[in-house]
Amino acid sequence: MADDYILAREIIHDHSARMMNIKKYYPYFKLTETDFSAYQGGKYGMLDMGYILMAVLRFFIEENSFKEKDVTYNEYGLFMKDIYSRDFELTLSEDEEKELSLYIFDKIRNDGKPFTYQYFEPSEKVKRTIRMRIIDSRIKDDTICYYLTSDAIEFYLDTKEIKDESTISIAQVLLSKMIENKNFKGGTEVIKRINSEVNRLKMKKNDVLALMSEDVFEGAKAYEEFVNTGIKWFDEEQKSFEKNMELVKEALSRTEGDTENTAALQDIFELETELKKAIVKHSELLNACVELQRMADEMISDAKFSRLRRSFDFSDALKTAMEEDNAAGLGLLIAPLLTLNIKKTFDFTYIDRLLTLPAIKEEKGEEIGNSVEEKYVYDDELEEQRIDENFGFYIINLLKYIQQRETFKLSEFNDDIREKYGDEVLKNSDFYTLLVHMCGKKEYIVKEVLKKPDTFFEEYMVKAVRRADTDEYDDIGFRLEKIEGEEISLFDIAHISDVMIERTGCTYDR
Amino acid sequence: MTDKNLDKALDIVSVLINGGEIKKNGGSAGLYEEYESGTEVYDIVNTILKKLNINIYEYNYGLYITGGEGNRIFGYTNDELKKEIGVKLNRELYMCYFIMYAVMTRFYKAGNVSTFTEYIKSEDVISAVDSLLSHIMGDLNVLGASQIEEGSFKELALTWEDMPMVITEESSLRAGRSSKAGFVKLTFNFMVSQGLLLESDGRYYPKDRFKALMENYYDRYKGRLYELLKGGKENAAD
Repeated sequence: MADDYILAREIIHDHSARMMNIKKYYPYFKLTETDFSAYQGGKYGMLDMGYILMAVLRFFIEENSFKEKDVTYNEYGLFMKDIYSRDFELTLSEDEEKELSLYIFDKIRNDGKPFTYQYFEPSEKVKRTIRMRIIDSRIKDDTICYYLTSDAIEFYLDTKEIKDESTISIAQVLLSKMIENKNFKGGTEVIKRINSEVNRLKMKKNDVLALMSEDVFEGAKAYEEFVNTGIKWFDEEQKSFEKNMELVKEALSRTEGDTENTAALQDIFELETELKKAIVKHSELLNACVELQRMADEMISDAKFSRLRRSFDFSDALKTAMEEDNAAGLGLLIAPLLTLNIKKTFDFTYIDRLLTLPAIKEEKGEEIGNSVEEKYVYDDELEEQRIDENFGFYIINLLKYIQQRETFKLSEFNDDIREKYGDEVLKNSDFYTLLVHMCGKKEYIVKEVLKKPDTFFEEYMVKAVRRADTDEYDDIGFRLEKIEGEEISLFDIAHISDVMIERTGCTYDR
Repeated sequence: MTDKNLDKALDIVSVLINGGEIKKNGGSAGLYEEYESGTEVYDIVNTILKKLNINIYEYNYGLYITGGEGNRIFGYTNDELKKEIGVKLNRELYMCYFIMYAVMTRFYKAGNVSTFTEYIKSEDVISAVDSLLSHIMGDLNVLGASQIEEGSFKELALTWEDMPMVITEESSLRAGRSSKAGFVKLTFNFMVSQGLLLESDGRYYPKDRFKALMENYYDRYKGRLYELLKGGKENAAD
């Protein structure tokens, strides 16, 4: 019940204070929304309001706090000129510069109005508006001067975390001052702040440990940082705690005899209790950190050892993938676990793609120029043609000779054609080939052959007769008979048997 | 090689490819005996699977197979995987990869180093992903424009960071793409459908198939996996 009350009280009564505390950050975030790309056609798009604001604040602090003087608009203008050229590498004409500086100044001053935002005040159940200015103005010697508000100074100083000093130690120094000044209530507040810092360190320690258990090497880096920013101040903090405890005891002994000051006594008791709690918490943190140190050493040595093992180290593989910054690469590590993909799919989007493909309006045929198609005659075709012509020539001459003579020897025919066409006609190998084919059958009747050619020789006979385009050979018939013992000498190179050729058909004689 | 042995070997291959079980104390026990005792059957099965670019592993008296690297017939394309898991974008697919990897590392630190974890729950995986991405998330606090490349771990961390833990208290157990818990559930469902995990009361236990692959595949292909991770932008799923 009491806990619930404390919880509700913290939520409700502290809300206003919290809102007041965060108000100093509000203008910064409001101003960073300023989009330079929408101003002057975006030609100052590279400017960053957040940076400019911090620079202007620093400039004002320099002038207001260190030099103890207000800033005139001209001084601000000169400062901004440097910012444009040095930090944003902008070269501007005088007019452009003035216009831009005024635009920025108006933004930072919110056109002279305070920055406002609303929050709900739970204790009074009303909505309240917080107002805050960064720069205010006053008139001095007929000149308008500008100065930073205290909120703006506080904001600027609050933006930089002081890492190289212990927050706890600083708070302890403050605590000592407060105890010495007998501000015990304020001291209790400071101790609460110390406790929250101790809690933060505890959480940080857990984070480091969690990171270390996932990725030892990243964890080791975080651990090192934690040691540098947290642990190394422990001794100093312990001493401060002891000193403050002494101070509290002294204050207590001084006040104990004073019966009029019971309220102060009460405050000191509270302070002492809080301080004791803080000391216990702090020692807990110290122990946890010692434990963290031991675990970190163990984990690092384990990780180093596992690197030497032949086994596949999953965390190391992930680290490699992260170094390459290729998340798709994780697919390689996952793929082996998948079952075989036996479902074959056809994506319906392919149909979509097919339908949305731009159609060719008119199909164009292949263009053919005026070139004449070349006609190729192959070697075997040439040979075929030669044989055809030669065979036809000999066959027609033979048929003509048969028409003239009823019976004759091949040698006589040879002499006849030699007489007509010269020696060369008997030197042609096609002639002898024809004779071989011709001797394949004993008797030929042209009419019959024309109807149904049986042999190679007969086929050529048909071609020759048809080519002659006459029917004068149709009735010719002849029989062949080898003359035993008689040979024809062919230019003393070869010999062939002589053949008797006897006409069997042919009704007329020429 | 006898026809009988070839027949048995083909039976084994067929059952395995079709996603069936071959276990000594389970489905197709006879086939397991044949594989275990018949040298020729063993040889034929291994030859066929090798030619098909499929790896086979024995674990706890059972046979388990997986597609070899770049298996274009039995592998998955990114689109097929997205459909199987139930996600739409590449970064969501990579998120699932990452969650699966987180699950893997809950059970195994290395190929042969088990963590002896009996089971895991959604919250374990969520915190594991948080920790694994924590140092990237730290960088995200101050982020320059155009620093997020597609397919980078920063994109992954941002996807994760931008998701709420749950959409509503009631839907916390449902799979979905809009919350951390939903995403983890989605990935768990996929792993269950792949025969890797067994679900009971929100607890996920590793199955033998998961153990077989975890304990065998990665150690055997350690070198090749590192080579691909370091060198190539190749994606086995493509």
